[in-house]
Amino acid sequence: MNDSEDLELQALQRQLDDAFETTRPRPGFDDELWTRIQAHRLASARLRDAWMGLIQGIREAPAVPMGAVAVLLVVALGVGVVTLSGVHIGGGGGGATSLSAGSGQQQYGPEAGRAGPPGAFGRLPSPVLNPGSPDKAADSAAQPTFAAPGLPYPGPVTLTWTGKLDLNVTSAPVFRYAEPSTNTADQFGASLGAILLSRPGGYLGSYETSDFNVRVRGTIQSPAREPSFIILPIRALAPIDAAGGSADVAVVFLAQHSLAPTWPYTSESTTSGDETKVLLLRQFAVNGHGYAYLVNGNGERYGLEVDLKGNTPTLATGPLPLSLDTANYSIITADEAVRSALASSPAVAASPAAPSVALTTAELVYSLVVAGDHSFYEPAILFSGSFVVDGKTYLKRVLVPAVDPAQRSS
Amino acid sequence: MLADRPQFEDLYRAYLGRIYAYVRAQVSSSADAEDITAQVFMNAYQAYARFEARNTTPAAWLFRIARNATLDHFRAHGRRERLRRTIEHQPMAEQDPSGLAEERIQYRALLERVGRLPERQRDAISLRHSGLSFEEVGTLLKCSEDAAKMLYHRAVKGLRDAVEKEGA
Repeated sequence: MNDSEDLELQALQRQLDDAFETTRPRPGFDDELWTRIQAHRLASARLRDAWMGLIQGIREAPAVPMGAVAVLLVVALGVGVVTLSGVHIGGGGGGATSLSAGSGQQQYGPEAGRAGPPGAFGRLPSPVLNPGSPDKAADSAAQPTFAAPGLPYPGPVTLTWTGKLDLNVTSAPVFRYAEPSTNTADQFGASLGAILLSRPGGYLGSYETSDFNVRVRGTIQSPAREPSFIILPIRALAPIDAAGGSADVAVVFLAQHSLAPTWPYTSESTTSGDETKVLLLRQFAVNGHGYAYLVNGNGERYGLEVDLKGNTPTLATGPLPLSLDTANYSIITADEAVRSALASSPAVAASPAAPSVALTTAELVYSLVVAGDHSFYEPAILFSGSFVVDGKTYLKRVLVPAVDPAQRSS
Repeated sequence: MLADRPQFEDLYRAYLGRIYAYVRAQVSSSADAEDITAQVFMNAYQAYARFEARNTTPAAWLFRIARNATLDHFRAHGRRERLRRTIEHQPMAEQDPSGLAEERIQYRALLERVGRLPERQRDAISLRHSGLSFEEVGTLLKCSEDAAKMLYHRAVKGLRDAVEKEGA
């Protein structure tokens, strides 16, 4: 073999290396095939999983089945109650719940589960806001883009208050849930008729029906996010036949799978082309006040999300249905809340050029506070104000813990 | 489960691409390659309980399954496919635009030529460039390591000749 021929063969071998190295299946094929492989698990393994799920369901407190029963009742009473906007009230999972959906009359009561005496959870950790930090969990939970009229502004500002805050209550409920176990996740999967496939890293479980894959995960520490589920169709789901708009389609789809919210919410939809994102924004009932939205670490409202293409669901994600215990806690006054908000930006002396921001709105909200085995939904006051710097409109948000400082651990 | 045996999913994620590339070099369409690759891993999944890492490497084990699945495919469809390739003697039909994007065009033609080599030469090239050692190639092709090397080099020369002939 001469040198030239040798070089030719070496070049061809390099091309072959490249050809084999770069020949790969189309994107998504690996996950599709893995799903198919899992679907071919032996029938005995499936049965074992299903039985284990059932047995665990009998052994443990039936949080999900109770919710499912409540949802069934809601569906039986008529999905027509649901409208595109305004307050929607789901059935509660516990006997102490006294929410009602009758002709606009609202009764307030504990969210679900057991109601403890005032301060029953002891000293509470405080909620915090992480302004300006993009929410990394945005791919798997409702992110209401409409709730962010300006860019978040993380820098120092000089704050003033020009709004009006009426806190007509002196106490508010705090809600607590226990961190779900894999058994809880398995129960949830079983309630959807899904079979356990695996426990991928970061998830309590991955489950599957013939139509969709469901993943369940526990609480995320940062950014704080409660245990959640995400449903992704394996194949195109059947379009939903609903008389109303996108929100009705979303709710009917959720109800078909016993996932319609058992908590109060309002709905918002954003459409782009034939794709619509429906957000069911979670609220908590506060006796004597009304409803308070749940906000994330950026101060944005969130809850359940259903993505639609036309009338066909393409994704559903939201909080895992969990039983909540509740206990009332004294909260600060409006004046104290304003003082705390204004005191939250002490960098004026260090940054004399800090923009001046007038906080113009404030509302009672709920914020998730992650705390180990048990986490809390705690009341807080969310102050907001927009301002312009270099032609850009920014939004400043300040979250003030509403629970009386004497009942907080920090 | 043996301690030195990886989780099947790890094996699957690590080898899916290589197995697909190996199969793709043998068959005329990405759809067939997907079907065969799927069959390979279905078979492997069912047989994994019997896999013993001390007897063979996971790569050699998987490529043996892949080779058998490809041979099965040819038994069922091969005569028609080989006839078509011989008659058409042109790049493989690939109507699906997403399929065109799936692989680099310049390498697809090369793999296509590999696919037209005699069976054992085709296998020698495909297995070797899928990352197997000559010893593993020899085991799979039921010959010695030296024989596998000779077979491979003959195959590469044959491929070069085919490329030159078609380019002429």
